[in-house]
Amino acid sequence: MHRYRFILLRPLQLVPVLFGISIITFVLVRLIPGDPARVLLGTRATPSAIANIRAQYGLDDPIWVQYLYFLKNLGAGEMGKSVVYKIDVLRLIATRIEPTLALVVAGVVLTLVIAVPFAALSARRQGRAADHAVRIVSTAGLGFPAFWLGMMLILLFSVRLDWLPVAGYGESFSERLQHMILPGLTIALSLSAIITRSLRAGMIAGLSSDVATAARARGMPENVVFWRHVVPNAVVPTVNLLAVNIGWLIGGTVVVESVFAVPGLGQLMVRAIFSRDYMVVQGVALAFALATVLTNFLADILTVALDPRVEM
Amino acid sequence: MTPLLDIANLSVVFRGENEERPLLDGITVGLGRGEILGLVGESGSGKSLLCRAVMGLLPSRRLHVTGGTVRLQGQDILNADMGAIRGRRIGMIFQNPTSHLDPVMTVGRQICEGLGQHRGLSGPAARAEAVDLLGQVGFPDPAAAFSSHAHRFSGGMRQRAMIAIALACEPEILIADEPTTALDVTIQAQILRLLMELRDRRGLSIILITHDLGVVAQTCDRIAVMRRGQLVEVGEKRALLAAPAHPYTRQLVASHPSLSHAGDPPRHDGDGAQPLFDVRGLEVAFPLGGGFLRPKRMLRALKGVSLSVRPGETVGIVGESGSGKSTLARTIMGLTRATGGDVVFAGRSLMSERAAAMKALRSDVAMVFQDPFNSLNPRMTVGQTLAEVLRNQGETPRDGIPARIGELLDMVGLERDLADRRPRSLSGGQCQRAGIARALAVNPSVIVADECVAALDVTIQAQIVALFRELAERQGLTLLFIAHDLAIVRNLCERVVVMHHGEIIEDGPSTEVFARPTRAYTAALIAAIPDIDPDRPLGRGETNDNREELAT
Repeated sequence: MHRYRFILLRPLQLVPVLFGISIITFVLVRLIPGDPARVLLGTRATPSAIANIRAQYGLDDPIWVQYLYFLKNLGAGEMGKSVVYKIDVLRLIATRIEPTLALVVAGVVLTLVIAVPFAALSARRQGRAADHAVRIVSTAGLGFPAFWLGMMLILLFSVRLDWLPVAGYGESFSERLQHMILPGLTIALSLSAIITRSLRAGMIAGLSSDVATAARARGMPENVVFWRHVVPNAVVPTVNLLAVNIGWLIGGTVVVESVFAVPGLGQLMVRAIFSRDYMVVQGVALAFALATVLTNFLADILTVALDPRVEM
Repeated sequence: MTPLLDIANLSVVFRGENEERPLLDGITVGLGRGEILGLVGESGSGKSLLCRAVMGLLPSRRLHVTGGTVRLQGQDILNADMGAIRGRRIGMIFQNPTSHLDPVMTVGRQICEGLGQHRGLSGPAARAEAVDLLGQVGFPDPAAAFSSHAHRFSGGMRQRAMIAIALACEPEILIADEPTTALDVTIQAQILRLLMELRDRRGLSIILITHDLGVVAQTCDRIAVMRRGQLVEVGEKRALLAAPAHPYTRQLVASHPSLSHAGDPPRHDGDGAQPLFDVRGLEVAFPLGGGFLRPKRMLRALKGVSLSVRPGETVGIVGESGSGKSTLARTIMGLTRATGGDVVFAGRSLMSERAAAMKALRSDVAMVFQDPFNSLNPRMTVGQTLAEVLRNQGETPRDGIPARIGELLDMVGLERDLADRRPRSLSGGQCQRAGIARALAVNPSVIVADECVAALDVTIQAQIVALFRELAERQGLTLLFIAHDLAIVRNLCERVVVMHHGEIIEDGPSTEVFARPTRAYTAALIAAIPDIDPDRPLGRGETNDNREELAT
């Protein structure tokens, strides 16, 4: 089982990565023009009050000292307080993780539901009408921006047909499930375009591969050759592509969350930026980075499970 | 008696946009029950295509069967439902077991697949049968092999796994497409023996496709010789080898390295001379895996190799894959850094005076590579390639370059007008000649050739070897010839160095080493060369290491 030993080792290797991420988010937030103390106190604050606050929050210290304070607080589970929401940033993020996570999961599940059959159809009828249709649709899928696609879906399924809720997140589980369909579909329509192309290419290569020839030569029906030999081999490289895109998606839920008014991290991030809520911007950026790193870690575990040759 | 498989007048064409090319032209050949038919020919002769056509597995939609019949026990199978025939009645194994075994599925499941499809076995019954089959093809621990993936095995064991997968369907006929070409000679001998054993035990009929007449001479009952899509000759093995009727067969027989006695290798007297290469206790280790927070393991590719080569010597370095022979060549050339020991070239040490030694190496030593196509720049014509080398070297005046290119092409036996061609429009043999011409362009005193004939057909091989002999004799060239094929080395080199596990285990005059090898490993290597004489038995192909692999 030494192939899975990296699951124990990897978190150790992630420590320096997380350090790097914390430095970058810390520095970036401080590059935003404007004085946090002035923001905190409002426009009519006296210079002495500002000076007081600067001293109190350590804003007069050199930046590396500030960073060390930041790390110390982070270690104690404190990311500071939100200026707007008046609660601890960590707690604020915790309440917003679930909708974003639900959105990403819905997006990925729907992506697979769309991409796998279409890629299979396309690969097995390479060069014929069905293949061309899938390729045109997936190229088009790449071209539509998410905000437009989302609004069109709302117009069709919510306004015209009245099948699904317009926006929001819902209370009960089944309500939330319904609320996730359209935003998930919005993500899936563009993401599946990428995944379909990768899977299709892998499947086409697999269909003329030696593995497939050998399976045909021992009399396996074409369906068995395809689903048992071609598909498992084509899936392996696609897993990593999917991971990269999920990482990108986590940071990119902003648009979809805004269109569908989903109270997730992306929406929180946008509001925090507009209201100069620095502590929240910093915390959410850190959460996004951590999520991306974790996604890639999960993809690595999945790759090792799918391909016995891979060692991490 | 009608043959088990009867191929009559089979023709296959390639149909492109506006051309039609015949690839198989009226092939007629039969296979009897329990017979091994050797299908011999060079690359592109159509031997693999013939078998694909029989299986109904033509590799491209542009290929069409245009005529003829294929009958299996009298039943026409060309237009039959192949689902019940492929695997079940005609099985197939391939040249490259690594690419033909499913990498993400265990060997056991691939065997069970056939058992379920053709024999209705599943669950524990299938498992038991699969483990039994793995034992039959020589896996020492069949139960462990059952649940292993192919990449865990060596090339030879992978080929055994392929054979087990094919046997699971209990076919009457097994088509073996170059099953041993990718394997070391000793492993080749083992696989060939296994195939013959299976024939005897199960009454299996085998079509063995190969480019090596030695292999068919050792294993087959009848031989069919193909060339350019035609069957030029077919007949009983001994009769055909003793008196080949077709000129092409005669040429094939004459080119076989175990037969071509073009005289002894070139000799020279250089005993008193200073050694040109002096390799002392050379060590090369490569880091293996490892990484952040993980210890690096080292693979010791060379373990204290010492070798001295005098000017004008022709030295053959032989060994099986992984023995370190290519690493030795690359290190001598300064392409790989040594981790210990030293290489002294013409009095300059590669360790202590690297810059000076490299300069001397680059101007005096040239290398010829294994793959003739990929070692030439595809965008440059042969003439441009040679001109580039000549300009860099700077010894030939600019206006003398075209004349010098002509001379070089003459030297390697290429027609001068080929200078305007790019590698793609040259044959493998022509490309390799161009590669040699490029090596000769720097006026080297030494040529290091790494497996430079391994990818070529036997007739071309014989020509290239003859060219090297001539160059060694006429120009007093020093030759370091790295090869896995001992027979070629015997013909070309006066001295042979045998490598094994990164060490030199035998070093001496070729005639001496081949006649009286002092090490068991060398003897096993020599015995495993398939001889073209059918009455000389094939060696068992067992050396100490692979006996170990088979036993553990």
